[in-house]
Amino acid sequence: MKSKSIKIAFLLLFLALTAVLFACAHTQSMAAKHPMEVTGFPICSDCHTDGRAAMNHTNDFSMRHKFYAAQSKQTCTVCHAEAFCSDCHAHKEELKPSDKYKDSPERSLPHRGDYLNQHKIDGRINPASCFPCHGRQNNERCKTCHR
Amino acid sequence: MKVMCILCLILPVLLLLPGTSPAVSLSGESNTYMQSRQAADGTKELPFYEYLNLSVRDIGKETISFQFGGWLRYDLKDNTQETGQSRSANDLSYAYLSYYSKTANTTVNLGRVMVFEGVAADRLDGIYARTDLAKNFGVSAFGGTPVETGTDSEGSNSIYGARVSHQVPGLYQIGLSYLKQERNSEEVRKEEGIDLWLRPIDKVELMGKSRYNAITSEWSDHNYVLALGPFYRVRLNTLLSSVNYKDYFTASTTAVFKFDPGVIDPNEKVQTLGEQVSYDVNEKLNISALYKSYSYDIAGDATYYTGSLRYAVGKSWGTGGSIGRMAGDVERLKYKEYRVYGYGKFGKADATLDYLLVNYDEAINSVRAAFSVTLAAAYELTEKLKIGADLEYSKNPDFDKDVRTFLKLIYNFDFVQGKKGGV
Repeated sequence: MKSKSIKIAFLLLFLALTAVLFACAHTQSMAAKHPMEVTGFPICSDCHTDGRAAMNHTNDFSMRHKFYAAQSKQTCTVCHAEAFCSDCHAHKEELKPSDKYKDSPERSLPHRGDYLNQHKIDGRINPASCFPCHGRQNNERCKTCHR
Repeated sequence: MKVMCILCLILPVLLLLPGTSPAVSLSGESNTYMQSRQAADGTKELPFYEYLNLSVRDIGKETISFQFGGWLRYDLKDNTQETGQSRSANDLSYAYLSYYSKTANTTVNLGRVMVFEGVAADRLDGIYARTDLAKNFGVSAFGGTPVETGTDSEGSNSIYGARVSHQVPGLYQIGLSYLKQERNSEEVRKEEGIDLWLRPIDKVELMGKSRYNAITSEWSDHNYVLALGPFYRVRLNTLLSSVNYKDYFTASTTAVFKFDPGVIDPNEKVQTLGEQVSYDVNEKLNISALYKSYSYDIAGDATYYTGSLRYAVGKSWGTGGSIGRMAGDVERLKYKEYRVYGYGKFGKADATLDYLLVNYDEAINSVRAAFSVTLAAAYELTEKLKIGADLEYSKNPDFDKDVRTFLKLIYNFDFVQGKKGGV
């Protein structure tokens, strides 16, 4: 009972503090849409000098993009539509991204070629890399064999 | 049923908005696909897909938008007798009404949303809200019903969580997050996490995330990257991760991650150390190499390394290739992979050739070499309408000869109220 009261008091205090800080926040929001069209693999640091400068879409960007998205997704959405993310991070998908975009071989798209057999090895080596996309969703095809 | 609930929730809000602004815009993309393929049991399949995503912006006071993405499939060849499966399928990927304030980056999304923040990487039917606060603090929260596979059953299914962050723009951002999920009234996930982005000096970035499983009272995973550069066109990424299987693979909706019974020990722990070096020889040519070492507590260690090359002349043409090696502790966990590709744009047409070869050290179904070669071509009929066709030929442990065709029609639309739209 005492523990529950402490939790409720802490929550109320947190909400009050949040409300005060929100009332005092007067920052200008980022543009909802990038003011000029960005094509190809942009070098954000050509124009930006703050945290966005770190988001240069160089060849090694794909391995780090999850960290940026987990902290500042609103920065991603300035240029990318939600569909850009859901092409790979899907709830239920029957077509591999690499099948939908065969005309973009330069993109880092997962599961090219005969991945049905290759996944037996990759899945043993590092199952944690499968789990974010196929752990709780987008695993209807997994269940065909893994019942 | 869930889809209907979401639409019932969102549509009245759209209709009740106090008049639309004259600048309301509708944009999106329709992707129509038809694929010819053969299932492993020899059944011919001819699925027809329609993927539609659209965005309605600047509704009301120019701060409200609606985002929608989903697909449907209908199999033009009736295999219901052979497979016992339906000819059609569909999915709602996302559909939400969004409010985005002109100050403090305040966002409220209502509907089917993807929450990717802190420890959360979850899709849910519910609400997500975030805002900047004074003194560079930020806060976000979400709650609703998790959108997963195969968990529709009686009892409470809920997910909720929050994240609090602080940042000094350009120097660091640190976040503390929490997530709790109930499935059929049973608590299946209770996660706490810390995420970090730090740029103490120019050309040095440290980022990553640690997650604590509050049900098992153990850290489930740590995942960090140290990015250095560029130093004379060279960039370095050092990867370090650690995963504790029994605390990480929780609440899965497929048996494969339960490791029971299985070839993977559920008490396994793995530490991964990797290094990627990327060198821009000039504006067109990039060479990179990646090495990863996997150290297990129970299984034998493994390594993966690959080298790749990419050459691109603007958008007009490009080529690339890679050679890689996966080396597990036994023969059946080893393969070499080779890839080479090229693409070019010729006026309104473009063409792509892609070849991928995987050589398994231990034959699977008596086959060691699996390859696929793809030829893709497309033509822009108008600025907004494109047609394309792909042909893929492959040989692998499941197929002596597999030929797949893929036809596509892509239509981009962008309509602003008061202006003429369409093709």
